[in-house]
Amino acid sequence: MQPSTAEPAALTAPSQEPGAPVGRVVGWVLLVCGWVGLSAAFVLLVEKIRLVADPSYVPSCSISPLLSCGSVMSTPQAELFGFPNPILGVAGFAALVTVAVTIISGARLPSWYWIGLTAGTALGTVFVHWLIFQSVHRIGALCPYCMVVWVVTVAAFVAVLARWSRAGALPRWVGDYAVTIVTTWCLVVAALIAVRFWDYWITLA
Amino acid sequence: MRRNVILSLLLIAVFVAVVAVAVGVTRPPSGTGVADSARTSSAVPVVREDSHVLSDAGEGAPVLVEFLDFECEACLAAYPLVEQIREEYAGELTFVVRYFPIPSHANAMNAAVAVEAAAQQGRFEDMYTRMYQTQSEWGEQQDSKAPLFRQFAQDLGLDMAAYDAAVADPAIQQRVEQDRQDGMALGVQGTPTFFLDGELLQPTSEGDFRAQIDAAVNR
Repeated sequence: MQPSTAEPAALTAPSQEPGAPVGRVVGWVLLVCGWVGLSAAFVLLVEKIRLVADPSYVPSCSISPLLSCGSVMSTPQAELFGFPNPILGVAGFAALVTVAVTIISGARLPSWYWIGLTAGTALGTVFVHWLIFQSVHRIGALCPYCMVVWVVTVAAFVAVLARWSRAGALPRWVGDYAVTIVTTWCLVVAALIAVRFWDYWITLA
Repeated sequence: MRRNVILSLLLIAVFVAVVAVAVGVTRPPSGTGVADSARTSSAVPVVREDSHVLSDAGEGAPVLVEFLDFECEACLAAYPLVEQIREEYAGELTFVVRYFPIPSHANAMNAAVAVEAAAQQGRFEDMYTRMYQTQSEWGEQQDSKAPLFRQFAQDLGLDMAAYDAAVADPAIQQRVEQDRQDGMALGVQGTPTFFLDGELLQPTSEGDFRAQIDAAVNR
């Protein structure tokens, strides 16, 4: 009798599995994104404070005319809401870490919790795209820590979308190809950067 | 997961291939082969007829060339040393300035154009000095500082009708761009970059910089 009771369990497993473990995976992805984003935002904030205290200070990430935090951090775009952007990053990514840990704990979260998380990561993603546009097309310099923030923000948003896909609210392929979506996005941004700064890359080659 | 990894790797491979091809296509003049690149680099002069000579030590003297950007802080930092060297080696060392406006500096081109416009009235050095003295007032900003530069020209007592015409003339921008293109062909990657008798100088310190100049002037 035992084999027959085991069999239904095995059959139902595939339909249940995507829910719980994928939730955990999403949690871990969010945790990594949160930590990396928090570290980058924290460093940017510290560098910004040093730069304000001493305008001649050269931030640790000012490597070349193109890869330069200093020139990016001292633009008006670096203070969109009247205060340095990294303050948003430090608060936002710290919140993301907390949320991620909650998800990993396996707690049963109400859907409004997920909706809130989606709204938060979506807003972050919109903001990051504005920053990318400004950095690449207006300022004409790239700041390495900022680019780290771009990637983890988008990765976190896609991870949340993948969870909705698993829950059935979005098409399956969103969850199936989440990694590919993030890779494609990174490549598109890389292509924009390559085209915009073509002269510069060519001189390095 | 495996499909994701394979797809991602494939996309990355395609991207790298496209970039590699694009590099190959856009770069033939400067690097299709060893012989070719050697020819182009020797064909690009470190000093052109129209380059600005700030200190002239006459025929046969060693030539120090600086590729600079008026909005670059490192150039400003090097400026006092350059002035000192010009003074110390007066009559022994020729010093030539060439433009290398870095695109990420919003006013680097405007500044170079203003200096070139002043140069057309024989006031290159005055405007050059003025740019460095005032860099902190206008550098690192995104809006055009052309009106401020025009003010500098006025302060210098330039013929403003001629200045305005010069600044508006696309030829002047081309003149600056030519310097930048030469710089890139010569391997300039940032500013300031110095060439001593046509050789790229990579001084490790102020002492090293002086030592290399000393060697060139046989001190």
